[in-house]
Amino acid sequence: MTIQLRDPTGETASVLRERVAPLDAYTGKTIALMDIGKMRGDEFIDRMEQLCSAHGINTRRYKKPTNTRVAPREMIDDMTQNCDAVIIALSDCGSCTSCSTHDLNDLDRNGLSGVSVLTEEFRNAFESQKSAIGLDAASVYVPHPMQNRTTEELHSFAEQQFETIVSEICREALAQPAGAGS
Amino acid sequence: MLTEHLPKDGFAVFVKAECETCAMIEPVLAGLRDRDLDTIIITQDDPSFPANMSALDDRELEVSFRFDIEAVPTLIKLKDGNEVARTYGWHRSEWEGLTEQQNLGPDLPEQRPGCGSRTREPGAWETLVSRYGDTGISSRAINLGEWDDEIESCFERGWSDGLPVVPPTDARILRMLQGTARSPDEIIGDVPPNLTPITVEKVAINAVMAGCRPEYMPVVLAALEAALMPEATMHGVLCTTCFSSPILVVNGPIAKKIGMNSGINCLGQGNRANATIGRALQLIIRNVGGGRPGELDRAVLGGPGKYTFCFAEDESDPTWTPLNVARGFAPETNTVTLFQGDGIQGFIDQRSRTPEELTLSLARSLMAVGNWKLCEFTNAMLVLVPEHYAIFRDAGWDRDRILAELHSALRRPGSDVIQGAHGIGEGVSPSRQAEMVDKFWPEGLILVHAGGQAGLFSAICAGWTGGRFRHDSMTVTKEIQI
Repeated sequence: MTIQLRDPTGETASVLRERVAPLDAYTGKTIALMDIGKMRGDEFIDRMEQLCSAHGINTRRYKKPTNTRVAPREMIDDMTQNCDAVIIALSDCGSCTSCSTHDLNDLDRNGLSGVSVLTEEFRNAFESQKSAIGLDAASVYVPHPMQNRTTEELHSFAEQQFETIVSEICREALAQPAGAGS
Repeated sequence: MLTEHLPKDGFAVFVKAECETCAMIEPVLAGLRDRDLDTIIITQDDPSFPANMSALDDRELEVSFRFDIEAVPTLIKLKDGNEVARTYGWHRSEWEGLTEQQNLGPDLPEQRPGCGSRTREPGAWETLVSRYGDTGISSRAINLGEWDDEIESCFERGWSDGLPVVPPTDARILRMLQGTARSPDEIIGDVPPNLTPITVEKVAINAVMAGCRPEYMPVVLAALEAALMPEATMHGVLCTTCFSSPILVVNGPIAKKIGMNSGINCLGQGNRANATIGRALQLIIRNVGGGRPGELDRAVLGGPGKYTFCFAEDESDPTWTPLNVARGFAPETNTVTLFQGDGIQGFIDQRSRTPEELTLSLARSLMAVGNWKLCEFTNAMLVLVPEHYAIFRDAGWDRDRILAELHSALRRPGSDVIQGAHGIGEGVSPSRQAEMVDKFWPEGLILVHAGGQAGLFSAICAGWTGGRFRHDSMTVTKEIQI
């Protein structure tokens, strides 16, 4: 007689749904800069904010109370009402990778084009989480570890990946930064 | 299907050879046959019984199950293929009335009770439902190959924490579900990290695999409910690069009722309830939530508590305020408390004689939690053993006094613990240099009384780093629904 067992798993589908398409242009749009609340992430976001400003990109800053949980509903609602795309940074641990990917998914469902910035070490974790959620989510990676870096090094990570990050949420080519020569 | 052998209009008699009443009525059965009534005898244990009656062999109990036989002998009258009447045991008048015959078994007593049906033996019902009935189980069926080893199959499918699991067969799942009055399709919540909805049925499946007994189910369900409370931050606890896992403390009468250990070696191996309740929660997180090491569980080292970490508090000393009462529940309330913590740091003090000495000694060890310079950053659980508690108790110190004195002894000048102090980079913000700094939040130190009666060896379990988010990651307690 053959044995029949029952599946103890969540029996979730793993087919990825297409993410919200990148914006066509920055004009009149607001990009949410979402600090996931992990230590040192604010320094990275600080530089992202400066770079956006220099390129004429309008931003609105958010900070989660903790990287260990998904974002509060009020924060997601505020972003949905006031922003058109989102950059989520900076995940360098398991809990923040998982929770921030759920945030990315929530915002995608609300119509925001989004990208998550993580450290290289958590590439597989992100792939696993997006597979489980079922979203073909966008990601950009910076070196790991980041907790023992100087502020200057964190800023340089932002500068090196800035163009790649914004290209995930908007198709428009970046304008020359303010003050740059022609 | 064996029921095809039954007469459309006639009689079916269920018997077993080991039943004395069945043996006693053998002449009656022969008499029914001789009177040319369309009668079939269905035997549950010995196909040669009754002799020369060509009984239907029902040792697999299919027919007995389909007719829901409770006792033998049972006489059933069939009309148009359906049961229209039954009697069980031997009652001459009832047998005569049902068969419309006179003078059955004239030499027998007027009545004699029968025996229990084999379908009612312990464990039989669930197996028979899974073979012949409707289990009502909705989880996806996994059919193994004829030569597959069921335990190895569970490993291959990634359902195990590394130790063998009990294969979740329908019979075992049905038995587990009998441990709770809650409906199998009730949704308990969304299990992180994948935030997958979980039903009571899925809890039962994983409890089977963990090795639980059905009476543990209410505790497993409460532990899961505790883990799914937002302040429990199970999402972060599972995915974190830290060591932590849920540490479960059970309070209330249920702990003794299901045989939990709060005494010798209660944080160790050897007690089924302690071991399997904690394991069930971990398997749920793994299998339903998708929290597998190397994928979304990113613990840099992990810890043995990630297999299981569950014990009961020793509530036997009337001077001790149990944890559930301290956390606002009425005495005798059954509860599960979930603390997000690491493994054990042993605390050894065999010299302190006064509560003051012991407090200072404990405080020095508690300072090591996380990093001795980190403050208001991680929580901690102190498992105070009876011999250590006795030093406090004999001096009139209760739980509140012990906690207050410990917090006081754990307060240090900021200059001692700021980043860079003593040549160590780690520490609190330099802005706190002039302050007195507490090691733990007031609610961040959890006291539990447990352990054997001999041994001045208490235990400190460090909390996880998410504890630094004071209002977002907290110890939680859930009442157990019986």
